Amino acid sequence: MPDLGLEVLFKGKNAVRLLGGLWIALRISLISVLISIPLGILLGALMTWKNPVMRAILRVYLEFIRIMPQLVLLFLVYFGTTRAFGWDLSGEVASVIVFSLWGTAEMSDLVRGALQSIPVHQYESAAALGMNRVQTYLYIIIPQTIRRLIPLSINLITRMIKTTSLILMIGVVEVLKVAQQIIEANRMASPNAAFGIYLTVFILYFLACWPISLLAKYLEKRWK
Amino acid sequence: MDTSQILLEIDHLTKKFGDQTILQDVSFQVRKGEVIVIIGPSGCGKSTMLRCINALEEIQGGEIRVDGETVNAAGGNVRSADLARLRQKIGMVFQSYDLFPHLTVLDNITIAPLKVQKRNKAEIEQEAMQWLERVGLADKAKSFPRELSGGQKQRVAIVRALCMHPEVLLFDEVTAALDPEMVREVLDVMLDLAKQERTMLIVTHEMAFARAVADRVLFIDSGNIVEEGKPADFFTHPATERAQKFLHTFEFEAVK
Ligand SMILES: Nc1ncnc2c1ncn2[C@@H]1O[C@H](COP(=O)(O)OP(=O)(O)O)[C@@H](O)[C@H]1O
Ligand SMILES: [Mg+2]
Repeated sequence: MPDLGLEVLFKGKNAVRLLGGLWIALRISLISVLISIPLGILLGALMTWKNPVMRAILRVYLEFIRIMPQLVLLFLVYFGTTRAFGWDLSGEVASVIVFSLWGTAEMSDLVRGALQSIPVHQYESAAALGMNRVQTYLYIIIPQTIRRLIPLSINLITRMIKTTSLILMIGVVEVLKVAQQIIEANRMASPNAAFGIYLTVFILYFLACWPISLLAKYLEKRWK
Repeated sequence: MDTSQILLEIDHLTKKFGDQTILQDVSFQVRKGEVIVIIGPSGCGKSTMLRCINALEEIQGGEIRVDGETVNAAGGNVRSADLARLRQKIGMVFQSYDLFPHLTVLDNITIAPLKVQKRNKAEIEQEAMQWLERVGLADKAKSFPRELSGGQKQRVAIVRALCMHPEVLLFDEVTAALDPEMVREVLDVMLDLAKQERTMLIVTHEMAFARAVADRVLFIDSGNIVEEGKPADFFTHPATERAQKFLHTFEFEAVK
């Protein structure tokens, strides 16, 4: 059997350190998701309004965030704004800001799409049954919107978790950075550690994202 | 005519989309227990008229009253609380299958009686089941709309309207989107309702059905009622040339 350098994993606190790194990545994603969902719902609902100025502003925001590579956004917020405005941002806070900006933009577009995909005759059927506006949204429109939205937003969450691998570039010691540190520290003793450690990182990402994807698939099937 | 019997009044209704006039000064009345069939060429404004009656469309002239209360008026000054209340008196079944896809058949039927009319759940479910039984769909109560055929969906839509205890039912070409073999099962339900002396306003292209079910036929063309009469008279010797021409489109000459 080839030497995969897996023994490094069990040296000292390496396994715990990797898990710690994963936790940092997950925590940043989770906080960003918690910020993105309500803001995204709000902006998404605003996007369906008739007001052309409001729609144009939101459109520009969405396109701007989408066109920019996430890494450029991270650099812009972490290095750019700290210089320009002279404030002191930790890498983690900068990450949360960028991921929330990104998540809010993506979420708002999902919400807009879900709301606009509800056919007009659903509103009309509800009205014809004597439902008022609140009842129509409460019992007819929102339940259908949520069913369309949940699988999509879960996919967004897994995309966010995966993208946190970029934040090592602004000095946040997340799981990939920890992996690099471990490999570097054991370069002499276990030159093959890179394979084993990166394999572990792969499995950790997989374990974090897979159940979430499964849940999305399950809900999609159940609510089709 | 005994005016106390009048349930629905369409009073000088004018409806425009932009500067295109769809309905021009249309008036007629529907008495309790009457079945009125509205026919006319495609695009003449039949759907629009039904939609005006339960205020899904704003109107530009005239007024519509149900039980003497204004449900839709030019200028649109009907309070939304009144509108929600009056719409419960008007049941409507649309051409497109318009069931709520996230609810079961039973929930589709009971949601409005429960949430809008705040009726007792056991009582309304029992009533819903009786109706489903009657239209041959009791075994579908727990199914979702996507599991039903078009004809089954329309029967559920009819039951859903009925369980609100409306005083008048509007049907807008409810069989137009159905495969031919499913048309009958839906029309039979409507014939059954007519026998129970329900007040109905039916838009249809099924002429044989129209003749069987109607107390009165309204023929609409170019935004107006061109002819109205008893089905026996209307279908055998229509008075106007336009009605004759229209009825002729349903006939075929032998070619062999
Ligand atoms: N929302 C709308 N906006 C503009 N025009 C409409 C709208 N709905 C219907 N129309 C027009 O009104 C006319 C009558 O339509 P409709 O009532 O659906 O006719 P029918 O049901 O008799 O076939 C048609 O010319 C149609 O194009
Ligand atoms: Mg029509």
